Amino acid sequence: MVLEFLQGLSEMQLVGELTVLSLLIGGIIMAGGVIIAKIAKLLFHKYYAPSLPKDTAQNISKLIYFGILVISFLGFTSSQGIDLSGIMVAGGIFAVVIGFATQSVVSNLISGLFLIVEKPAKHGDTIELPDMGISGTLLDIGTFSSKVRKFDGTVTRIPNEKFFTSNIRSLTLSTVRRADVSVGISYESDIDGAILAIKNEIQQTMPFVLQIPEPEFRVEELGDSSVNIHVFVWHPRDDWSQAQPILLTTVKRALDKSGIEIPFPQRVIWTGKD
Amino acid sequence: MMSDNSEVSFSNYGIYDLESDLELLLPNTNIKFHKISDNAFSYFRKNSEGKIVEKIIPIKSDNLKIELAPIRPLNHPARRTSHMFLQFDKDIYLSENSAASIFVHCPIEIGIFLVHESTRDSLDWITCNSLNSRFGLYGSPDTGKLCKYAKVSLATDYTDSNSYLEGVMQIVVENTLSFGQSISKIVFQITDNALYYQDSKTIIDGIKITMKKRAAVNIADVKTTSLETDWSMSPTWEDKTTSTHMEMGLE
Repeated sequence: MVLEFLQGLSEMQLVGELTVLSLLIGGIIMAGGVIIAKIAKLLFHKYYAPSLPKDTAQNISKLIYFGILVISFLGFTSSQGIDLSGIMVAGGIFAVVIGFATQSVVSNLISGLFLIVEKPAKHGDTIELPDMGISGTLLDIGTFSSKVRKFDGTVTRIPNEKFFTSNIRSLTLSTVRRADVSVGISYESDIDGAILAIKNEIQQTMPFVLQIPEPEFRVEELGDSSVNIHVFVWHPRDDWSQAQPILLTTVKRALDKSGIEIPFPQRVIWTGKD
Repeated sequence: MMSDNSEVSFSNYGIYDLESDLELLLPNTNIKFHKISDNAFSYFRKNSEGKIVEKIIPIKSDNLKIELAPIRPLNHPARRTSHMFLQFDKDIYLSENSAASIFVHCPIEIGIFLVHESTRDSLDWITCNSLNSRFGLYGSPDTGKLCKYAKVSLATDYTDSNSYLEGVMQIVVENTLSFGQSISKIVFQITDNALYYQDSKTIIDGIKITMKKRAAVNIADVKTTSLETDWSMSPTWEDKTTSTHMEMGLE
């Protein structure tokens, strides 16, 4: 019964030598290929990817997935008796046409490949794209686009071509990073005393600030109303939130404790009689 | 198991068998275990910064066994590195082709472990001197090595340990160069060094530094030397790595 049914399918010709049966076999091969590719990708993610760097794992995963798809596609074409060399000759003509039509798509694809090879940033890196005003964590460098999760939790998709050609500032490439703030003290205050007070407060209350290199203090400007001091501290690259956002509070607290005035903008007016 | 301090008696390192409540007193830190039911204890810890940690510990048997032991100073304020940067308070000068052996104080942290038959589970860790638990960078910001940093003084011998705060470590320095050299700091991977305790004292595996010329470059080769002692070995908090030495540049 089944054999007769299959016999019937093999005799139903669609185009040339293409029969319904061969098309069915081809479909089964492709469907099997997709399922195997997905299972292989899943197993790789479960058992091997956790022990590899994120970007390497992503790249190998894509290689496995698309590799199996390509192999099953080749299986599909051979099952249909399709001669690929003929397609390639005909494809050459169409490639030019398609190339013009899908210029940006191809450009994004090629840029994605270059991004994977050059690795200006890795998955999980904190990056800033100053040209686009985007800062956040790099989630994925995909085939045509990359994804960045901004600090507000939203995810931005950036076409690979734009990503590749823009300036990329990596915030996690160096071992340490520097935080800085500026503060003004009154002209009556002792500059060395203020610096010592800030230094001690940083030492006691900011455990993530590095001792080497030491916090640095530069008298930046003799301003209109205050002597302005710039404070620089270094911290481990992953602990920005333990340094920059609380540095100004620490400086203010140190000056308050020492009774050093942070002056408001002021003008001294001399009248004619004086 | 209590040790005599000048004013306060602090709890000693060691294994404690808990059948009911237990209070451990350490400098600036208070730890309490309380039996809340037949098969559960509560854990409470308050440190010098006022931070409180509370946990519930379910147990299979009637009692609970814990171990209080010194651990490597890598966890406060956060685990970021496995390297230690010790800055000597005074430089050590070694003339050409000479060697010296010194003892230095090295900061420690204290771990609280749950004791099973052959393994230890880390329950908590503390530092009794958080002000001396800071980071430092060896090298430049882009390529340098992030380390835990401490300014340390020389110790007289292994008995000169500063209870709960610092252990004693032996450093053997050999200068094979044809000129004298001052040593002001050492950087090494402390995950290679085991810690040992007795009562409230701690000693740490030593290191051997060989200053030598390799091609046109002068380097300091730093290797760990294992200690032979009858003191109890501390459980390992971090995975012990297999690397055996690192190299520092001579400045």
